[in-house]
Amino acid sequence: MTEPTSKQAEKSGPRYLPGDPRPRPAVERMIRVDQAGEYGAARIYAGQLAVLGRSESAPVIRHMAEQEQRHLDTFNEILADRRVRPTVLTPIWHAAGYALGAGTALLGERGAMACTVAVEEVIDEHYAAQRDALGDDEADLRETIEEFRREEAEHRDIGLESGAEQAPAYPVLRQAIKSASRLAIWLSERV
Amino acid sequence: MTNESGTDWKDDPAELRDRLIEAALPHVVFDGWGREAALRGAEDLGLGPAEAMRAFPGGAGDMIRCHLSLADRRMTEALIDADLESMRVRDRIAFAVRTRLEQNAPHRDAVRRAMSYLAAPQNAGLAAQALYRTVDEIWWLAGDRSTDWNFYSKRGLLAGVYSSTLLFWLNDKSAGFEETWAFLDRRIADVMKAPKLMNTVKQVAGFLPRRLRAFRTFRSPSASRS
Repeated sequence: MTEPTSKQAEKSGPRYLPGDPRPRPAVERMIRVDQAGEYGAARIYAGQLAVLGRSESAPVIRHMAEQEQRHLDTFNEILADRRVRPTVLTPIWHAAGYALGAGTALLGERGAMACTVAVEEVIDEHYAAQRDALGDDEADLRETIEEFRREEAEHRDIGLESGAEQAPAYPVLRQAIKSASRLAIWLSERV
Repeated sequence: MTNESGTDWKDDPAELRDRLIEAALPHVVFDGWGREAALRGAEDLGLGPAEAMRAFPGGAGDMIRCHLSLADRRMTEALIDADLESMRVRDRIAFAVRTRLEQNAPHRDAVRRAMSYLAAPQNAGLAAQALYRTVDEIWWLAGDRSTDWNFYSKRGLLAGVYSSTLLFWLNDKSAGFEETWAFLDRRIADVMKAPKLMNTVKQVAGFLPRRLRAFRTFRSPSASRS
């Protein structure tokens, strides 16, 4: 037990420093924020479908929404199995996610795609950071996160192919949604 | 409670604290929670005063925290083997609360003293923490797997049921605590009315999405016609 940790310490320093969350709470935080994120994502796509349900891009959005629902189901299971409490903010993500999805969809199909691109970019970074932070003792969770990250990156590419960059005020919209997503992640990790 | 079994449990701080609490409980009735009871409990176990002081550096608060954690673990031990799955959820909850109180019946006066300690404003943090842990444990034993706001509403409602039942139980003089179990059933019945209230809240919360859905039909009348 002491052997590998001392080797690790030589190579890359201690895994966490004083003041960092301890390993177990850190993993709890990850699961909590991921469940909240997938919950929000599912709500965003639900909002988009409410507006664009009969448009040309509906099948693509529906495909992404199904994948998000599967991610959410998986994290719900992990959350309950490990007795991690969910975020207190689910009612807010319930409404805010839907409003964001529906609001950008009202700008048109490209607006919805711009929203998808912005959100999935943040999620991609976020999952990549989590994947790198998890050690071999959490190999299963790391595997799940990596699989989901690839699917989220695919959503981002679908968004870009569908003309997200031609959305009205794309740079502003993208930055605003990215900041909001980062704020949501920050909050969901903590409360 | 003999100390001939060796020194192994004395070396494990958690085990030592559990045993000290059990030994101190009969003294708490007379001396209250605090160093007096801890010292007398240590004496009964054949330990020196230093061990007692070291086990509970925070005094009464530490002792009560440890006692409540021990009570939670006792409850879990008793219920993990019980056949809860064949019961309705409300019966599982009632059964868990009942088990919890029956387990502590021999120390009812110590519990009463702990309650008056926890009622002081400066101990509100400890009281809330301990109540949350107990309520969370009961829901876990009842097989709750909610992952949204229900997680908190369930725990909140049970916190109300559990703490009011606990207070009633402290002054219950009926044989076998019959009146407490009746009180508990009535409280749970009250709580079962809450979903109706929640539906009203949901209707209000669903106001915005419904407006947007109306907007969709307004926006694409041509699409629906074609």
